[in-house]
Amino acid sequence: MKVKVKSWTAVATWRWIANDDNCGICRTAFDGCCPDCKMPGDDCPLVWGQCSHVFHMHCILKWLNSQQVHQLCPMCRQEWKFKE
Amino acid sequence: MSLKPRIVNFEETWGRLLETVQSVIQLGDIKRGTWSDRFSDVYALCVAFPEPHSERLYNVTKLFLEEHVDNLRKQVAGAGESLLSQYHRFWQQYSKGAAYMDQLYSYLNQHIRKQKMSEADRNFGAFTDTIEEQLMDIGELALDIWKRLMIRPLDKCLQELLLREMLKDRAGDDTQHTVLHSVINSLVEVEQYKKKQQLKLYQDLFEIKCLEQTGAFYRKESARLLQDHDCSQYMGKVLQRLQEEQLRSRKFLHPSSYHRVLEECQKRMVADHMSLLHSECRTMVRKEQRQDLSRMYELLKPITSGLSIMVEELEAHIIDSGRQAIAGLHGDNIPAQFVEAMLSLHIKFSEMITTVFNKDQLFTKSLDMACSSVVNKKLSSKHNSCRSPELLARHCDALLKKSSKGSSESELDDRLGQCILVFRYIDDKDIFQRFYARMLAKRLIHGLSTSMDAEESMINKLKQACGYEFTNKLHRMFTDMGVSDDLNNKFAKFSQEKETDLGINFSIYVLTTGSWPLGQSALTPFAISQELEKSVRMFEIFYSEKFPGRKLTWLHHLCTGELKLNYLKKPYIVTTTTFQMAVLLMFNNQDTVQYSELINSSLINEKELSKTVQSLIDTKFIEQNHEGPITENTSFTLNLLYSNKRTKFKITTAVQRDPPQQEVEQTHNAVDEDRKLYLQAAIVRIMKARKKLRHNILIQEVISQARSRFSPSVSMIKKCIEALIDKQYLERTTKADEYAYVA
Repeated sequence: MKVKVKSWTAVATWRWIANDDNCGICRTAFDGCCPDCKMPGDDCPLVWGQCSHVFHMHCILKWLNSQQVHQLCPMCRQEWKFKE
Repeated sequence: MSLKPRIVNFEETWGRLLETVQSVIQLGDIKRGTWSDRFSDVYALCVAFPEPHSERLYNVTKLFLEEHVDNLRKQVAGAGESLLSQYHRFWQQYSKGAAYMDQLYSYLNQHIRKQKMSEADRNFGAFTDTIEEQLMDIGELALDIWKRLMIRPLDKCLQELLLREMLKDRAGDDTQHTVLHSVINSLVEVEQYKKKQQLKLYQDLFEIKCLEQTGAFYRKESARLLQDHDCSQYMGKVLQRLQEEQLRSRKFLHPSSYHRVLEECQKRMVADHMSLLHSECRTMVRKEQRQDLSRMYELLKPITSGLSIMVEELEAHIIDSGRQAIAGLHGDNIPAQFVEAMLSLHIKFSEMITTVFNKDQLFTKSLDMACSSVVNKKLSSKHNSCRSPELLARHCDALLKKSSKGSSESELDDRLGQCILVFRYIDDKDIFQRFYARMLAKRLIHGLSTSMDAEESMINKLKQACGYEFTNKLHRMFTDMGVSDDLNNKFAKFSQEKETDLGINFSIYVLTTGSWPLGQSALTPFAISQELEKSVRMFEIFYSEKFPGRKLTWLHHLCTGELKLNYLKKPYIVTTTTFQMAVLLMFNNQDTVQYSELINSSLINEKELSKTVQSLIDTKFIEQNHEGPITENTSFTLNLLYSNKRTKFKITTAVQRDPPQQEVEQTHNAVDEDRKLYLQAAIVRIMKARKKLRHNILIQEVISQARSRFSPSVSMIKKCIEALIDKQYLERTTKADEYAYVA
C-alpha cells in the first residue's frame, strides 16, 4: 500500500427526523425549540408516540398535564403512549 | 431664707442688685455668695407680696442697660480711627456680661415666659401684634438694646469701616483679624434669640454691601490681570485669588456667606470671561496642556454648564486622535494594531481624565462617546458598515489560536479582557458575533485553540458584557465539543463490544444543527472512500441506537485525516482534508489516474475537486502529465521523488483558506438576514403588548430594544413593518401613520 489512512476526524451535524416539519402543538419547526425554550437541540428534545405522532417533549407534557380524564394524542385522539 | 412670697422693699433691693449688675455687665469680679444673694433677690422681687415687682424690675433693668449702652456708644463714636477695636472690646465685654445677666435674671425670665404664654392664651383669636411691646428675656433684651442703641446709630459708620478693612486685607495690608471677625459676627450674634431671620441684620447691614464690593474689586482685578497675563497665567492667578478669598471669608465672615462670596468671585473672574476661556479651551485640549486644563477644570466646574464646551472639545479631540490612529494602520496584522490603537487611546485619555479632570463623570462619558464614535466610524458614506467588529474578532482569533509565541494564561486573559473593553464600544455587536462564531467554529473543529479554558473564559466575558442570548450559540458550540468527546469514548467501547476493527483511528465531532455557523453551501456529494466507510457505517448504527429520531449529516469538507505515505524514501505522516485523502488513495492501485476517474469514483463536485487537485499539484504531491487547463482527460501521476524536511506536516490547502472577501460578504449578508428576523420579532412583541401604536413611537421602541445588539437603520425597520403587514401580523388603521396588531 502506498498510502495508508492512519486516522480520520469526521465532522457531522445532527437534526431530528420527524414525519412533519412542525410540532402539532406549538406550530414551530422541529428544528427550532418549543416556545418555552431558548435553544434548540439537546435541551428541547422531541418525543414520539405509539401513534407515530411527534411533538416537542415540553409541548406534549404540557398537553398531557392539562388533560384530566383520558390522555389522548392531540392529533389522532388515540390514547397517548410514549414509543419505547 | 424662705421661698415664701413676702413684702419686699423694691428700692432697697434694686439698689443692691444694681450694684452687682453694673459689675456683671463689665465682667467685674463677683463673689459666689453675692451672686447667690442677688439671684434670690431677683426671685424675691418677682414673687413679692402683695404685688410682685417683676414688671418694675424689668423696666428698671432695661433703663439701666439703655443708659449703659448709650454711654458705651458715645465712647465708641468718639474713638475715631480705633472705632472698630473699641467696638470690639465693648462688644466682647457686653455680650458676655449680657449672658451672665441672663443667668442672674433667670427667675424673671421664667416669669416673663409664663406671662407671655398666658397672654397668648388670653389673646387667642385676637391680633397678637397689637401688644405694644413684647417682654423679652433679659439676655435678649440686652442684645436688643445693643442693636437699637449701638448698631443702628452707628450702622453707616461701621459698614464703611468694615468694608475699608476688607479692602485693605485684599490689597495685602495687615488688618486686625480678630477685631474684624468679632465685629462682623456681632451682627449675627446680636440676633441669636430670634427664631427666624437671624441673619437679616447681618445681611442687610453688611453682607450685601460686602458682596457688591467684592464683585467690583474682582471685576477690576480680573481686567487688570488679563491685561498683563495670558490665559494660562490668568487662570493660575485666579485660582490663587479664589483660594485666598476662601481663606479670607473663613477669617472674617459668618459661615452663611462663605459660598456667596466665593460665588461672587467666580462670577466676576470666571463666568464673566467665559468666552475667553472657552476660546482658549480648544488649543489647550488639542495640545493636551495638562496643567492649564486642570486649572480650567477647577475654574469652570462650579459654574453651571461651564464645562460643556470643554467636554465637547475633549470629545472632538479624542475622536480626531482616534481616527488618525486608526486611519494610519497599515501593513501586517491590522486587527492587532487596531485593538492596540484603541486601547492606547482609551488608556491615555482615561488616565488624563483621572489626573486632570478628577475622574469627572462628564468627561468619562465623553470618552465613552468618543471611543464608540471612533470604533463605529463607517468606512465611507457608501459603505453602511465598518470593519471594527471584524477586526476585533480577528484579533480575538489570533489570540486564541495556537501560536509559536507562548504567552502565559494570565497574559492571555488580560488581553482578552482588553478586547472586551473595545467590544463594549461596538454598535454592531451582532456582526462581531457572526465573525467570532465562524472563527470559533474553525478553531474548535480543527483543534486550533490554544486552550479550552481561555475559550470558555472569553465566552463568559462576552456573556457578561452582552447577556446570555448573545452567547448561547457560542456556548452550545463549546458544549458540543465536550459531548463529542464523550461520544467518542462511548463509540470506542461500542465497537470493542461488537468486536469490529475499524482499521483506522476514528473520532468525530457531532454538532447541533443551527448552533454552528456552517453554511450548507459547501456540501457536495461524496463517495466515501472504502477505508472510511466502515467507520461511518458503524458510527451511524451506534448513533441511531443511542439517539433514535436523529439524523446525521456528514460534513466531509470539514473532516480531516492523517495519511501515512509509504512510497517515498522516508515514511511521511501528513494531515489532509478528506477530499485530498480520497484523491491520494486512488493512487494505491495505479500510478496514473485520469481526472474523469477521480470524478466518477469520488463523486465530488467539479468545484471542490478541481480545488483539491490543484492543491495537491501545488504542493508537488502529484504531477499533471500535460500542461494546460484540467479537462476530463487530463491524467496525473504520483510524484515519487517528493521530499520534505519534516516527516510530519500538513498539506496546506487553498480549500481551507476560503477567500476572505467572499467570507466577509457572506457574513454580512447572514447578519442582515438575522437582523431582519430580530427586528420583525421585536416589532411583533411590541405591537402585541401595545395593540395600537404610531409609526414614530414604534420605531423608537424597536431601536431601543435592538440597541444592545446593533443600531438598526430606520429604512430596515420600515421594510420589516411592510413585511409584517404583508404577512398579516399588522395592519394600518384609519388614522395616518398608525398600526394595529392583528391577533
